[in-house]
Amino acid sequence: MELSTATLLGAWVSIFLTICILSFLYEDNPVYKLAEHLFLGVSIAVSVVEAYYGTFKPNMLDPVGRAATAVASGSDPGWDAVSVIPLLLCGVLFLKLVPKLSWVARIPIAFLVAMFAGLKLTGEANANLMTQVAESMPNLGQLWIDHGLWDWSADGAGVISGLVLVLGLCACLLHFYFSAPHNRPLRVVSRFGVLMLMFGFGASFGYTVMGRISLAIGRAQELLGLDRSLEQNAVVHPRIATLASIVLLVGVLAVWKLRGGKPESDEATES
Amino acid sequence: MFDFLVRFQAMDRRWIFLGMAIAIVLPLLFPFKMPFRVDERVQALFDEVDRLPAGSRVLVSADFDPGSRPEIEPFYRANLHHLFRKDVKIVVLTLWESAPPLVQPILEEIAGIYGKTYGEDYVFLGYKAGREVAIKSIGADIPKTFPTDSRGTPVERIPVMRGIQKAADFALIVNVSSGNPGTKEYVMQIQGQYNLKLASSTTAVSGPDYIPFYKAGQLFGLAAGMPGSAQYEKLTFPDGKVPGGGKLMATASMDVLNLGHLYIMALILFGNLAYFITRRRD
Repeated sequence: MELSTATLLGAWVSIFLTICILSFLYEDNPVYKLAEHLFLGVSIAVSVVEAYYGTFKPNMLDPVGRAATAVASGSDPGWDAVSVIPLLLCGVLFLKLVPKLSWVARIPIAFLVAMFAGLKLTGEANANLMTQVAESMPNLGQLWIDHGLWDWSADGAGVISGLVLVLGLCACLLHFYFSAPHNRPLRVVSRFGVLMLMFGFGASFGYTVMGRISLAIGRAQELLGLDRSLEQNAVVHPRIATLASIVLLVGVLAVWKLRGGKPESDEATES
Repeated sequence: MFDFLVRFQAMDRRWIFLGMAIAIVLPLLFPFKMPFRVDERVQALFDEVDRLPAGSRVLVSADFDPGSRPEIEPFYRANLHHLFRKDVKIVVLTLWESAPPLVQPILEEIAGIYGKTYGEDYVFLGYKAGREVAIKSIGADIPKTFPTDSRGTPVERIPVMRGIQKAADFALIVNVSSGNPGTKEYVMQIQGQYNLKLASSTTAVSGPDYIPFYKAGQLFGLAAGMPGSAQYEKLTFPDGKVPGGGKLMATASMDVLNLGHLYIMALILFGNLAYFITRRRD
């Protein structure tokens, strides 16, 4: 199998940068900083280029250009002329930099806020509020018919789960009710609400840990060459690249340490 | 023992990282293939796709980036295999700027395995900026949102797009989502409005947020994180063999996930135990 030089070089650079980033687990160091700054720089560059070619050019600059050409040749620019308005609004945004005229920049910001408010309002109300409120009132009779008290084959669906949902939701809401003193009966309900919240946070934490381990697995698979075919591995040699990167990094860090290098956080503390 | 517990609490965190590295690398090199079961949400997703008649058209919105590849690329691959195997026509698009170099080669590779023709059996519409505004527009008018495919061919000349005007014209929509814009935005902007049959494969971090959408019927299926992808792989390739010689990347990672979680649970339990014992003695 033949791979292009760019693909081969890309694979080695990817492995080297992964090792550079992982070196932070030992200690903050200049090699990690290099990889971090590279990552940020490339990410921002890609975003800027994509925003230009994906949004500004096709939606604003091209129509404005066509309108200008049409006007220059004496023909009707049509709807393309309307694109001058967003161009003007974009320009006006930069008036934030001129203190005396900075108030004018509020006009395009007002457009943005109003547009997103309109866009989000109906979606949030429909998807996150109405439907979820309706679903928080389960039909216990139907649950009994479908699953009984507790159905292991359906992830614990049943009357018990329905009751826990309703009671837990009410207890959580009452925990955040501050217009009455949390005396003994309300305190008990409030405690139950906190317990439910803790279950929820625990589930979120568990999923987050799983996500982070998954990312580590992805990197490990790349370093060990498990995400490529045997033919590709015969050309890329990912394990040799990993070993070479580790040796190089250890050497660089040893030299850095011998020359009195310290993590940035330590330097900041000392100064 | 008491001294050990005291020293354990002051242990250098780098030993923990080393332990985690071992817990990740060892099962990858020496897999022991722990069993895992398919949950109801992934089964529902698979069943709905499996019920599609040949010739149906499915929209796949592949909205992920390199950071979430390990978790949801295996689902994307397995889902494409499943759809092509069912002779379903696939329209892929993305709302993430970094997605095209990831999702297009995979689409071409898997289409090639099944001998599918570009334009006839599948198409890649490319990337569209605009996030939620773009989603709203997909719901109302796809040719207006994507006037051409990624190769610059006008959509009205692409056979697989014939008769497709809006999102509701697809039999199903599968959103492979690693954040915003993604599943939540599809649900909020167009799922309810057009009563779309929407499924999601998402990262583990987003999983708990989307479970209520599944419970409320706003999603007909949900595959969360690497386990979701592994479960879909298990259903799509029951014999463990991938056409074209590919690997079951998520399935191969389940041992690591299990061991990694056991390691973290052990640390939490032991750390708390040490804390309470030493506090009582103090």
